[in-house]
Amino acid sequence: MDALSTAFEEVSEAMTELIDSFYPRAAVGDLDTVGLTSNLLWYLIAGAALIALGLAFKKRAPSKDHVPHGVFVNGMEYLVDFIRNDICRGTLGDTWKTHFPFLATLFLMVFLCNLVGLLPTWKAGSGSMGLTLGIAVMSFIYFVGAGVRARGGWGYIKSLSPQGVIFPINIVVWVIEAFSTLLRLATLSVRLFCNMFAGHMVMGVFALMCTIFVRPLIAGITAEALGVAGMSLLWMLLLVLIYAVELMVAFIQAYVLTLLSAVYVQLAEAEH
Amino acid sequence: MDLKIFGYALCLIGAVAGICLTARSVATNMARQPEVQGRLFTVFILAAAFIESLCLIGFVVAIM
Repeated sequence: MDALSTAFEEVSEAMTELIDSFYPRAAVGDLDTVGLTSNLLWYLIAGAALIALGLAFKKRAPSKDHVPHGVFVNGMEYLVDFIRNDICRGTLGDTWKTHFPFLATLFLMVFLCNLVGLLPTWKAGSGSMGLTLGIAVMSFIYFVGAGVRARGGWGYIKSLSPQGVIFPINIVVWVIEAFSTLLRLATLSVRLFCNMFAGHMVMGVFALMCTIFVRPLIAGITAEALGVAGMSLLWMLLLVLIYAVELMVAFIQAYVLTLLSAVYVQLAEAEH
Repeated sequence: MDLKIFGYALCLIGAVAGICLTARSVATNMARQPEVQGRLFTVFILAAAFIESLCLIGFVVAIM
């Protein structure tokens, strides 16, 4: 198994190279002056694709009998209906119409952005911490803005502690609640970033393990090498399974982000 | 002998225990009351996403 042991020695270098490839690097221009990282580039491409999808839907959708025709229109309508019923109406109740545009844009953008990262050498926009922090900051501004609009500025700050609690303990609970509200920024961004980053890292590691077991076969075709290459097929099967899991995770993380944003908006606006 | 890997393994114990308890509760209550299957499935996916995100923070810290 000499070829195999040399292959294992090269693993640690290959792993370091794999981890390095996940750090954001400049795709257009230069990061010091003006430039885009590759994650930001694919995020903008996903945004342009979303605008194109929206315009195509708007062009095809209106039909004389108000019944959708065709696969594309039906599919988009199913998705938008899912966002409306499950996320907005389920959590928001009466005011769902005002918040629906923001939540639908958030869901579709994050979902498309996650999906774009699954194709080979295309990068997920949400795979870099800066972009997910930006998405979390938008969500934070939106739900604080909704709370301020519902209650007024000082009213929103006062509403962070629940009513009916006597005076000194009021302040303590307020501090804890304010801290947890600020922590929502961190958890929203870190959850999306870690899911995308770790998922792609696991896929990269499995692909690496596939290539390790094929190296003896490339060196020379012997019966032993064929046996070792069989294990490579096993890793390939695992890679396909992980790919299916990543598809599910792309959808679930977009859903969780939007659902949590809707819940935060509802908490900010709720009458005690 | 990287201690970060042991830290991640410890973090995994809690995460797996949490998700297994959630799945057990979902399966039991789907059997008791089949008409709430859809709602229970949604709650299960949400809970698993939350627990898994904490576990993945540990994974990313261990890798980097």
